[in-house]
Amino acid sequence: MSQHEILNPADHGTLRVRTEASAALGDNVMACLTVPAEFRAVQAHYPIVFRRDGETGKLAALALFGFDSGENLFLAGDSWDALYKPLALAVQPFLIGRPANDDDVPQVHVDRGHARISTSGEGVRVFDDSGQPTPYLEAIASKLGDLDFAWRASDGFFATLERYDLIEPFSLDVTLDNGSQQSLVGFQTINEDRLAALDGAALQSLQAQGHLTAIFMVLASLSQFAALVARMNARMAGG
Amino acid sequence: MFRLIGRTYGIFGMKTSVQRIVIVGGGTAGWLSACGLAAKLPGLAITLVEAPNIPTIGVGEGTWPTMRESLATIGIAESEFLRECDAAFKQGSRFDGWTDGAVDDSYLHPFTAPLPGDMRDMLAAWQAGDQSTPFSAAMTPQHAVCAHNLAPRQRTMPDYAGALNYGYHLDAGKFAALLARHATGRLGVTRIAAEVTGVKVDHDGDIAALHLRDHPTLAGDLFIDCSGQAALLIGGSCGAGWIDRSDISFNDRALAVQVPVAPGSPVASQTIGTAHEAGWLWDIGLPTRRGIGCVYSSRFLSNDRAAQILADYVAAKVPGTDPALLRPRQLTFATGHRDRFWVGNCLAVGLSAGFIEPLEASAIVLIELSIKTLTENFPRSRAAMTIHAARFNALFRYRWDNIVEFLKLHYVLSRREEPYWQAQRSPATIPDRLAENLALWRDQPPSAWDFPRVDEMFPAASQQFVLYGMGFPLPVGGPPPTATAIARVRDVAGKARALAAALPANRDYFAAMAAQRSAQKDHAVP
Repeated sequence: MSQHEILNPADHGTLRVRTEASAALGDNVMACLTVPAEFRAVQAHYPIVFRRDGETGKLAALALFGFDSGENLFLAGDSWDALYKPLALAVQPFLIGRPANDDDVPQVHVDRGHARISTSGEGVRVFDDSGQPTPYLEAIASKLGDLDFAWRASDGFFATLERYDLIEPFSLDVTLDNGSQQSLVGFQTINEDRLAALDGAALQSLQAQGHLTAIFMVLASLSQFAALVARMNARMAGG
Repeated sequence: MFRLIGRTYGIFGMKTSVQRIVIVGGGTAGWLSACGLAAKLPGLAITLVEAPNIPTIGVGEGTWPTMRESLATIGIAESEFLRECDAAFKQGSRFDGWTDGAVDDSYLHPFTAPLPGDMRDMLAAWQAGDQSTPFSAAMTPQHAVCAHNLAPRQRTMPDYAGALNYGYHLDAGKFAALLARHATGRLGVTRIAAEVTGVKVDHDGDIAALHLRDHPTLAGDLFIDCSGQAALLIGGSCGAGWIDRSDISFNDRALAVQVPVAPGSPVASQTIGTAHEAGWLWDIGLPTRRGIGCVYSSRFLSNDRAAQILADYVAAKVPGTDPALLRPRQLTFATGHRDRFWVGNCLAVGLSAGFIEPLEASAIVLIELSIKTLTENFPRSRAAMTIHAARFNALFRYRWDNIVEFLKLHYVLSRREEPYWQAQRSPATIPDRLAENLALWRDQPPSAWDFPRVDEMFPAASQQFVLYGMGFPLPVGGPPPTATAIARVRDVAGKARALAAALPANRDYFAAMAAQRSAQKDHAVP
């Protein structure tokens, strides 16, 4: 049960957050949201795919960790087997609190109902004894700022992709080493043929808006599917 | 089965092989020796003989960081060790009241080494910074972690790994019992419960066998004397002499108590040694109790006065305790060591080799170092044993001298004015090498040039923490600090903030460990 509060030293002076990786702490997810600003880091480890919201029709980008709901092939016991964790996951259990007035500074919120909230005295403190933010909270606040900025910028990215008609649905069917079939449907990616056919003016426009690198990072990330399948095979073989 | 392997003889009938190890005494020294030998040299036939109903002395309750490697080598999981020995983490020693006895007189000797680099440069960077920062706080984030009673590690870290260097505080009786179970149950060590009644000596002077009460004679190739202050073998048939060091190290008595602590009360991250008018008090915090003792010199303090000092300390430091209910145990000890630790085919390990006040917890680490030296230089033949013995004796004589000198350093830097403390600073009681070092250290900080041997017990880092913790003057006239040194000292503060946020309190660590265990137990119920 989520329970959002505005983070402050008076209420959260002794709060500790469990930062290790674990299914019990909510890491057993097959994907998490990602934003174009971190595509370069994400594509080094995970496939990046798009998903269209059934109600709003809006697109969002996802970093994939597995093929089935609840399956995270990067989670090995208490460790996360990759050097980079997408921002949306790394900031948990914190969130951006958007104030009513758009000009106000966004606040850091904490979800007191999140599994990462420690009750045992273990975990990392967010404020020190004098009520100052710890280096951990400073890092979280910086990530939240990055995520907030990048999230708002991602609308422009998807609008541009749609304008050039670069989005196409895709599905993946894999036969695993043990003969079983694994498939992934309902996601979108970049249409490479249409991208290749864009004229100079279009490419220049994409470049000027800063979207061209992000587009190629998405394409590059698709080669991580091979690594994801290899993780799946290794897991099956390991029992 | 192992005990059937007899001494093997070469073609000329010479004793050629060392296979049967007999350990006399079953305290920490005996069982740690048995485990260390069995784990490192699995081909040996090891028998430990201990007299039933002999209580262990149980004073050595602080270890060095070396214990982590010892336990890992022996094959005991860290969580099992912590649980079974009621152990806590020790990240160093804090010395209160040693410099001048003022209220804020306190310094830390942490286990984590000072910053790497030229110590002259680091000292200059420390001095260029905030003048109120103690030396240990400028050199390592461990100072801040200790000040907050935090653990040196998170439970999710691999066994025996930590964010900072650490050893343990433990219940010595439970520790010996754990080692005994491990040695006999998992490492194939044979235990005989019998009293040693006599020694059968070879024509060449070696020990051939031990006579035991109501038990067959026990033969062996190498005998390890862990019989404590009784020194049954080394001080008996081996005839090793005793070198008295009480001319340098004055303390000869201790009053020890164990005080239960309130549930949930903080567990300290370091041993606390508090100076008093004629000695000092130890304070070792375990999860369930605090071991507190008053060490003193009978020449300067009466037993009654020592008891009063102890009662006052307990009343002040462990609220809720009724000092009238304390029943301190009186210990009397001679400070010194054998003139030879290895004589013929007998090696003394533990209190049989020597004893000195536990100011820097040297008792258990000396056992570990003795066994490490033995296993890494194990005599394959009786002929080689003579060479190894001579080298062992030279090395441990050097180590004992270093211990005596390093403990003395704690006293000679004091400015306390009581007669005891003035006597401690009398030049006649200061060893020559310590006096020389102190003269040199006015010009240059302690360095590896001063302590060049393998596995130095108190290397330059230890000397530096005591010297500069007690306000020893810094070498003058050096160049200003480099930018690198200034950045490293500044970086310590940042690391201290990060670690203070990330590490759990000692108490919470042990509570979480216990909670997980009971959860697993519940789970295991069929």
